[in-house]
Amino acid sequence: MTKQWIVLAVSTLMLMCGCSSQSGSNGNGNGDFKYFVVFSQCNNAEPYRAAQNKRIEELFAQNPEVKLVIYDGQADAAKQISQVENAILQKPDLLIVAPLERNALSDVMGRAMDAEIPTICLERDIVEPNYTTYISADNVAIGRLAGQFIVDHLTEKHGEPKGALVEITGMKGVQGGTDRHNGAFEVLDKYPDIKAVHQATGNWFQGEATARMEEALSANAQIDVVYAHNDPMAYGAYLAAKEANRADGIAFVGVDGLPAEGEQYVTDGILAASFEYPLCVDKAHEVGMKLLTDPSFTPEKTYILESRAIIPEK
Amino acid sequence: MANESKLKALLGRHRALLQSFAVLAFIFVVAVVVSPLDIRGNNLFLNPENLTNMLRAITPVAIIALGMTLVILTAGIDLSVGATLALSATVTALGFSQWQYPLPMVIALALLAGLAVGVMNGTLIAWLRVQPFVITLASMIGIRGLTRMLSDNENIGLRTVGESAAYFVDTFSQKSVMIGIFLGLAVIFGALLSRTVFGRYTRALGDNPQAALYAGLPIKTVTIAVYALTGLLAGIAGVLNAARTSTGNPNDGIAMELDVIAVVVIGGTSLAGGRGTIIGTVIGALIVGILTNILGLRNVDANGQLMLKAVIIVLAVVLQQGRKA
Repeated sequence: MTKQWIVLAVSTLMLMCGCSSQSGSNGNGNGDFKYFVVFSQCNNAEPYRAAQNKRIEELFAQNPEVKLVIYDGQADAAKQISQVENAILQKPDLLIVAPLERNALSDVMGRAMDAEIPTICLERDIVEPNYTTYISADNVAIGRLAGQFIVDHLTEKHGEPKGALVEITGMKGVQGGTDRHNGAFEVLDKYPDIKAVHQATGNWFQGEATARMEEALSANAQIDVVYAHNDPMAYGAYLAAKEANRADGIAFVGVDGLPAEGEQYVTDGILAASFEYPLCVDKAHEVGMKLLTDPSFTPEKTYILESRAIIPEK
Repeated sequence: MANESKLKALLGRHRALLQSFAVLAFIFVVAVVVSPLDIRGNNLFLNPENLTNMLRAITPVAIIALGMTLVILTAGIDLSVGATLALSATVTALGFSQWQYPLPMVIALALLAGLAVGVMNGTLIAWLRVQPFVITLASMIGIRGLTRMLSDNENIGLRTVGESAAYFVDTFSQKSVMIGIFLGLAVIFGALLSRTVFGRYTRALGDNPQAALYAGLPIKTVTIAVYALTGLLAGIAGVLNAARTSTGNPNDGIAMELDVIAVVVIGGTSLAGGRGTIIGTVIGALIVGILTNILGLRNVDANGQLMLKAVIIVLAVVLQQGRKA
């Protein structure tokens, strides 16, 4: 019996500590903040998402009158729905949702709107326009930028736009990957001498990209460019080429351009270029603060943010 | 003598149940105490809206846990339930979008898919005499592959594919429907385990397989049945998950088998087999549900939540060990 009491005491303590470690995180009454903001993130455990979280925390830290809380959907749509439901019960002054899936979050965001909570839909679209404003970047445009870069690079290398291209795609069925492919090939298809000799899916993961690149290297004696749908996969492909002593002849192009990732790879001379996929949270902060403080402010229904090429300084 | 030991066993069972209740009550009280307040100063955790949110959130895991209890009672394990849920959800979504079947047929097909996986698991385990861990590990991998192949790796949305899909989503994502289905199934499985010959055989199989063999129990049939039922329940959970998320996602339910097993274990069912109850599993599900909910309401860091849950699993089981004495 004694053992059980000790266990009970320990677990009470743990639970209390665990729960109070974030004291004041509820939006009501016991903190000295004026506005309560909830950010429902679909999956913290992704570099792009982690960078978003870090940046949005920095941004709202500039506004001491705002209490920001981030929920982690853990890549589980049902979980994210429940978390938004929890958020609605707490009546935040602003709700920002980065939806995991287009269909899944549509309804619950509608309920947030019904509860008159200003709602920002971030980065990924939902099926019905159940949001105050939608802030996103354009993956097709990013693909076009990457495609044009590849054309320019090959022209510079061979004197004319020709060469062998390996494409490493993101997870099949994810719109972002499809758009990045379509945008790039909208440009590349105009040049019949640029040949996509190998296309494989790396599922966004560096490790898988390395394995797929090893196969591409075995199958193709000549490779000029690798276009990967994100920077980790571009880096993964680079590692495979480096091991085969073929990295020098190949230009690696990635997407996302996170400071600690793609941008760093470009600086280190590993990637020839990366195309920034905007985090979108700067705009969300700007629009969000206006929504909170200016009753007369009406946001645009949609903001599409521009990308930026990250290339080595000449 | 026989009567005395019977009495003792009965008392032991009730004490076990009481202890499970005690853990649940304890978690509940802590949740009430640490809950944030809403704008009007009311307890947010006790808000009926929140309590029903919590119940609905735990429903898919809890439903599968009912079947997993039977499996674990036979000293088996089923690792394929997460993949089976994804298969059922994907079949549901395909049924509405690509195949354009009427609603009853879509649901029947999804449940049949789950049942088929369960029957396959059970049959392979019973006839090949390979450990359940190995067989269901293999089907966890294989069924995930099949699901991704069926869906062409895509999330299949249900919001824009027609009236019957919309009706399905609206109906089966309702709290009353989801929670009601879970409660109904819990009553059925409770009765199945405690009031039928099948229930006695299930328990006997894990308690003492040698004795069960010598007593001439239909071991193969019982084994196939418990896995078949678990597959069917994973199918039901898959249908509900598809309604809840209005999506069939081939990546649904990854690592869910571990949540299910955790619920069963917290509910006092022994992985060694033979010992455990359905009511215990329901309590286990409530404990996990309340814990997840209150940690969410308090906005405890997600990674911290995982660590805290790990501790709670061990503590809950340690607390229940007292019943042996």
